[in-house]
Formats: sequence, structure tokens, C-alpha cells
Amino acid sequence: MTSPLMIEASGVEKWYPNGFHALRGAELEVRQGEVVVIMGPSGSGKSTFIRTFNGLEDFQKGSITIDGITLSDDIRNIDAIRREVGMVFQQFNLFPHLTVLENLTLAPVLVRKRPKAEVQRQALELLERVGIHEQAGKYPGQLSGGQQQRVAIARSLCMEPRIMLFDEPTSALDPEMVQEVLAVMQELARDGMTMVVVTHEVRFARQVASRVVLMADGVVVEQAPPEQFFTNPSHERSRQFLRQIA
Amino acid sequence: MTISFQRLRRELFATPLDGLISLVLIGVLLAAGSAFLKWMLFQAQWTVIQANSTLFALGRYPIDQQWRLWLLTTLLALATGTTWGLLRSGSTPRWPRNDLVAAVLLIALASAGTWALQLPFPIQLRWWLISAGLLVCRGVAGRFGSSLPLAVRRGAAVVWPVLYLVGMVLISGGLGLMPVPPSEWGGLLLTLLQSSFAILLCFPLGVLLALGRRSELPLLRWGSVVYIEFIRGAPLITLLFLGQNILGFLLPGGLAPDRVWRAAWVLTFFAAAYVAEAVRSGLAAVPSGQLEAARSLGLPLPQALIHVVLPQALRVALPATVGQFITLLQDTTLLSLIGLLDLLGTARTVMANPEFLGKSAEVYLILAVLFWCCCAALGLGSRALETRLNTLHTPVKA
Repeated sequence: MTSPLMIEASGVEKWYPNGFHALRGAELEVRQGEVVVIMGPSGSGKSTFIRTFNGLEDFQKGSITIDGITLSDDIRNIDAIRREVGMVFQQFNLFPHLTVLENLTLAPVLVRKRPKAEVQRQALELLERVGIHEQAGKYPGQLSGGQQQRVAIARSLCMEPRIMLFDEPTSALDPEMVQEVLAVMQELARDGMTMVVVTHEVRFARQVASRVVLMADGVVVEQAPPEQFFTNPSHERSRQFLRQIA
Repeated sequence: MTISFQRLRRELFATPLDGLISLVLIGVLLAAGSAFLKWMLFQAQWTVIQANSTLFALGRYPIDQQWRLWLLTTLLALATGTTWGLLRSGSTPRWPRNDLVAAVLLIALASAGTWALQLPFPIQLRWWLISAGLLVCRGVAGRFGSSLPLAVRRGAAVVWPVLYLVGMVLISGGLGLMPVPPSEWGGLLLTLLQSSFAILLCFPLGVLLALGRRSELPLLRWGSVVYIEFIRGAPLITLLFLGQNILGFLLPGGLAPDRVWRAAWVLTFFAAAYVAEAVRSGLAAVPSGQLEAARSLGLPLPQALIHVVLPQALRVALPATVGQFITLLQDTTLLSLIGLLDLLGTARTVMANPEFLGKSAEVYLILAVLFWCCCAALGLGSRALETRLNTLHTPVKA
């Protein structure tokens, strides 16, 4: 296991403006090609934690290094990191005024300055990969939740990121649509994408994760391979959490 | 849309009391309507309008230079017809019902309007030709527009800003044309100029103010808040007087713009504060996830705003913003109070003329109709834009 470190977060502390101490020294290291699933009770800071990785949330103490670039307040630095880190949100956050295809091509054309025709070809390939190429001309509002989330994944992939962050990607979906999104994520993992996934999907964690991380009260409590985490957790906090979701 | 006798009876004469109320109301309406018609047709003396139609339209614009305005009107009509046709190109039938109605109205206006004003025959002929030119452009562009490449059709919109600049030159002179100072512009010309200038400039200014108000930079945010609240807290007329008097003292002699332009800038800055509030409500309607998604794709803030947030926010803000434009158009009448000869100011000079004493009802009625036409045009335009934007995409389910 000597693949390079993609994410290195140490001693991350964050207070919200209202004084809430959301992260209390959270630590995480993710190597290239790893799929790390973060679990934990709500309010444990897992979403906040992965949102600090691409600068959507600021933090007051500690340090985060993404793919060799250390996060600082410098905007150019944050933009550089965001180009390499894709993010998929619970609420999809597709751009409703643009077609599916335009959702995918917007950033590569504007940010990477790539020729439009080439990006469109790649976008259609990606849409085919996530199984919705026939909807390319539709608007997001005309798609189902599962389809929207798959478009959102394709939109991130179109920027050719080196890391993908998933913030509860299936929590806003109807139950019958969860599987189609997880299948896309599983395939992505198989292709060697470095992924950090906040989710409650135990089956996904068991099948896909290289490591499961439990967060509680703003710190990482336990990290373990999925089998060990789900069958023989070493911390009382983990056992308590597993009893609650069982 | 047939009104059945049964339904009328059911809705207006259900009970004896209902019937009584209906009869009284109908009687009042009929009496008022017939009195108004009688006044309009037999008592009102429309010579005051007929004799002063040029004054109402242009103010004291020099007669020997009026060909420039005819040229501008012709250009505007041709551009309107072409744009109209391009927007409709490829539609079946070629002349949808609304378009037919508009065409018939235009023909009626060109013939009946010029006749009612008793314009000299050559002038009537000009209006007929201009109207015909508009309709011909509409027909030709509608017929052949769809065979043009999309880029050309989109590019045709550039005609409008160019035409605006050309219009400015034609009106004010320069580039070899004899200059006509703003003090000689008046009537409908001045009203339209002032309002179009203010509308065009207050919009970008308002968007910037709204963005500034939501900015994370304290200086920018507080600057915008203070500006917006100061402007909204002061009546326009005070600001207009302030603009006329203070600017002259503050700026050294030659730098202070002409009185007309001073008023135009005051109108612009005034409306910008209100547009900013309309845009702010639009910005608030865009979920924060939109900006986050755009930013996490690596878009820098300006690009994220331009391509993702503003298109959605402005769509929400459109009705309120157009409402503001309509108010702005009507607010130009205040210019008459600071001594500018806009439509109302011109009307007041006409009514002060001993020859036309006591003819104010006729004049005010025509003013009301003119303003109503302009505001209705703005309102219709915005509603057309709204439906166009709404059919373009359905909103995302939350």
C-alpha cells in the first residue's frame, strides 16, 4: 500500500458562526484508489468534514492537503483544488435552466477551456455510462430523482476529477431509485476512482468500501475495513451506532 | 366565450335584491359611459391635439432637422418588423392569430390615427409607408428567417444596441450632423429617451447593487445597503431637485452635465435601488446549493453568478423588475416639475396658451392614453418573455 496520499486532513476544527463546535480535531488520510465510507449519527459533522475538503466550508484549525495542494484562503488555490475534486450533493443541485447536456459541458468549457464539440462528445459518453444518454436534451426537472443524481455524477466526472466526494447521495431519493445510483458509484469505484462517501447505505459500505470511518461529535472515532467494522467494532460508540441503524 | 342569457340571469338577477343592485349598477355604468361618449364625440374640441401634435411628439425640436427623427422612426420600424418576423420564423401558420390582430391594429392606427389628427397628406403618407415597411419586414423575415443559420438569427439582436447609439447620434447631432442641444428635445421624444436611458442603465446597476448587498465583503455589503436604503427613503422629486441644484455647485462649471442628462442620471440611480431590491428577492429564491454546485465544479465566483445564479434569479425577478420599469416611465412626468418639457411639461405649456384655455380634459385624456400604450407595451413584452422562459424549462422538484 504505497499509492500516493490524495487527502490528508489532520486536527481539523471548525466553529460555525453561531458558536457551534462542529469539528473537534477530525483526522483522515485517503490514498489513491481508496473508497472511504463515512458513517455516523446525524450532527456528527460528517457532511461538514467532507465539505471542508473542497473549500465549501472553512475551518479554523488544522490542515488539509488535497492531491499535494494545501488548502489556504487563497482563492486561486481553492479553485485549483475544486477542479480536481468532484462533488455530488444530497439535493443533486443540477442547474434547472440548462439541459442535461449543458449541465455537463458548462464547467469543462468555461474552466478547462476545452473545445465545446469535444466536451459534448465526452459528455454523451459519460451519460451513456450512467445510462441516461437518451435524456441529454431534456431539462433536469423532467427527470426522476435517480436520473437527476446520475446526471449529477456524470456532471462531476466531466471535469475529470481525481477525487470524488459524495455527500449523502441517496438520502433524498425514493427507495426504488437508490440502487441505480449506487450501481453507478460501484462501477466508478471499480474503475479505481478515489472516493469519499458519506452515506447510511450499509450494503454499499460492505460491498464497495476499502475502509469505513465512524464519526461522532466532530471527531473520527474508528476506522476499519468494512467486515471488521460491521462485525467486530472496537469502540463502544461504534457498537452503539450499529445497534441504532440495525 | 359566449355569454349565455341563462348565465347572466343566474349571476345578476338571482334574487330581487340582486336584481335591484344589478339594475342600479348597470344604470350608473350606462349613464357614465354615454356621458363620456357624448363628451368625447360632440363636446370635446380635439383641435388642441390636432394643432399641437408635433409639439406633443417632439417638443421644440428644430423643424428643419426633423427628417432625422423620421429616419430614426423608419429604422426602428424596420428593425421591429424584422425582429418580430425572426422570432416567429418557422411557426405555422405564418401569421398566428395574435400577429394578425397586431397587424390589423397597426393598419387601423396608421390610417385612423393619422386621419383623426388631421395630419397633412404627405405626413399621413409617411406613416402609412413606415407601417407598411414594418409589416413587409415582418412578412419577409417570417417567411425566410428559418432558412438562416441560428447564429445569424441570434446575432440579429445586436441591431438593437447599435440602433440605440445611432438614434442618440441622430437625435443629438454630431458626426457631421447639426447638433441639437437637449434643451430643445421635448414631448414624447424626451419622455421615451429619458425612460429608455434610465431603464437600460438602471438594470445592470441594480443587479450589481443586489449582488453587493449579498456580498461577503463588509465594505461592499454596507455600501450597497446604505445606498439602497438612502435612495428608497427619499422621494424622487427631492432627488430630482437635488440633482438639478447640487450637481451644478459640486462639479466645476463644464463638468456638470446638461439639465436633461442630470435628470436622466437621477432617474437611473433612483430606479437602480428599486431594481436591486427586486433582483435581491430573485437571488434569495435560488437555493444555495446552486452556487455550491457551480463552485465545486471549479467555476470562479463571477462565472458561477453569470451562468448559474443570475439566469435563475432574474427569471424570478422579471415581473417585479418590469413593474419597476413601468413606474419609472410614469415617474418621468415629474420632470415637468423641474422645468423640463417632457410629455406632461409640453402639455402644460400648451394648456397655458390662451388659445387653448380650458381644454385640459382633452389633453390629459390623450396623455393618459399615450402613457397607457407605452406601459401596456412594456407589460406585454415582459409577459411574452416570461412565457418564453417558462416553456423553456420546468423547475426542478426540490
